[in-house]
Amino acid sequence: MSEVLTLAPDATEAPIVSERKQARRENWRLIRKRPAFIIGIVILSFWVVCAVLGSAITPHDPLDFRAGSHLSPRAEFPFGTDATGRDVLSRVMAGARDVLRIAPVAALLGVIFGVILGMMMGYLRGWFDTIASRIVESFLALPVVLIALLAVTTLGRSSWVVIGVVAALFTPVVARTVRSAVLAERDLDYVTSAKLRGESNLFIMFREVLPNVMGPIIVELTVRVGYAVFTVATLSFLGAGPPPPSPDWGAQVSENYNSIISGFWWTVFFPAMAIASLVIAVNLIADSVQSVMEAS
Amino acid sequence: MQKFILQRLASILVTMWLLATIVFMLVNVLPGDVGRKVLGPFAPQEEVVAFNQRLGTDKPLVEQYAKSIKRIFTLDFGTSYQTKSAVSKIIFPALGRSAKLAVLAFVVTIPISIFAGIYAARRKDKFADRLIVNAGLASSSIPEFVTAAVLLALFAVQFKLGKAFANPPDGTSLVGQLKYLFLPALAMAVAYFGYIARMTRSGVINALSADYTRTATMKGLPKGKVMRSHILRNALAPTITVISVQIGYLIGGIIGVEKVFNYSGLGSTMLGAVGAKDVPVLQGAVLLVGLVYMVSTLLADLLIAYLNPRVRLDGK
Repeated sequence: MSEVLTLAPDATEAPIVSERKQARRENWRLIRKRPAFIIGIVILSFWVVCAVLGSAITPHDPLDFRAGSHLSPRAEFPFGTDATGRDVLSRVMAGARDVLRIAPVAALLGVIFGVILGMMMGYLRGWFDTIASRIVESFLALPVVLIALLAVTTLGRSSWVVIGVVAALFTPVVARTVRSAVLAERDLDYVTSAKLRGESNLFIMFREVLPNVMGPIIVELTVRVGYAVFTVATLSFLGAGPPPPSPDWGAQVSENYNSIISGFWWTVFFPAMAIASLVIAVNLIADSVQSVMEAS
Repeated sequence: MQKFILQRLASILVTMWLLATIVFMLVNVLPGDVGRKVLGPFAPQEEVVAFNQRLGTDKPLVEQYAKSIKRIFTLDFGTSYQTKSAVSKIIFPALGRSAKLAVLAFVVTIPISIFAGIYAARRKDKFADRLIVNAGLASSSIPEFVTAAVLLALFAVQFKLGKAFANPPDGTSLVGQLKYLFLPALAMAVAYFGYIARMTRSGVINALSADYTRTATMKGLPKGKVMRSHILRNALAPTITVISVQIGYLIGGIIGVEKVFNYSGLGSTMLGAVGAKDVPVLQGAVLLVGLVYMVSTLLADLLIAYLNPRVRLDGK
């Protein structure tokens, strides 16, 4: 009896696994073909290169203030200079580093915790799910930027506080998505047979169910990275970002927006465009991944 | 229906309790001395002690917690450190000013984006549709302060349209105020365009291919009537939900917009409170925002129930 039960699932699982791999390869092929995805990847790669190489590839030192103050865009300074005479182009290039260091980490942590919580809610059900669902719903009502501001005020201004708060506020959103994906899986035959095999709950959740809900999780991750960039940029504009000499984009806009009215638009326009291009790039990627995954 | 409303009211209470608890934890329970943490390592000890006394953080935690929960029901959030006046006297007028901005933004954006969504749905996969979908994706993914800064540079400075300082002088007529509020409202309108247009589009696409639409068309109803009473009635439910959820996120975006335009709404008030470590104002504002969000989602659900008898009769 037990022999039959242990053998049967293995025999049927082999082709399922390869089917999954094939589907994954097919999805990836479809995603790569989408023009939106290609545009997004090109823009994102540009900013990643800027972030990694930093001042090694900027035309000037992003902190050097020896140029004249508020020079309008010209050959030597294509994006002009700011109030203290620093090259805006160099600062925009170097400023990619802060947001690209914080946002993906926050999104990834939020997704990891969200997957763990959502798995437990969807698979275990019962009182745990009931209570957790209530709490998750309440968390969705929390204004992310506000709570983050409050946290930065009381916990201090550091990138880890920002990462922690953003991850904590993303966790329930991800958990809700994962929970509903798991609910659709938990009564399928492969889960029942794993239970009959006597596998532990932990094994079933993370080795059996998890691979089958990877689609929505990947979609959620790409979407969350977009939101994280948005939130981190907003927070640093509001003063919760890296402190002044840093060329962070949000901080640059924040430092200079009051000089727009005096006509020095370039000090704000270019970092603002940098933020816009990065969030659009990430969202183009997320949107492509989402449409392909949901169609399959 | 009654059961539905009661359930929702109960869930609002639970959420407000949770929100108050989170705010309480952030301010009080985290390790270390609150006054020391807020005032920094170089503040003299006497100031730290005085700060803790004013905040009440020298009292037992249970007592403090009970007090902070009571605040949700009494809407009495204590006294501001900065101005020494009641917090409610500061945050409610500020909320009113922000609401003015938000209402203007919605008045601009809702008709335009619903129309754009319907237009895109009827031209699915054509050029106009791709344009609206991608413009919507871009508009909703760019942070509001970025749009605000670009609009400021473009309109107020280059074209001399609108004002860089959005606070209208006292006694300005309602129409006169529009000139001041227009640019910041536009910045917010741009941000919501994407969400609402995309939601409307997918709702209309679903409704266009539904059986009831085919039946209505087959029985010879005029096109406009089918659109109004069959397609839109069904397609707008997700759109209404999105709009109501946006009201919650709105407040996050409004902080940035108000900062760019130096407008003294709730966002600026909160930002000022952050700068001055004015914890009671911040606490009160966060709870108020939570309350506004909950009430708006409740109203949206009621509106959906009103539009769609299936939801209403299920007593969902």
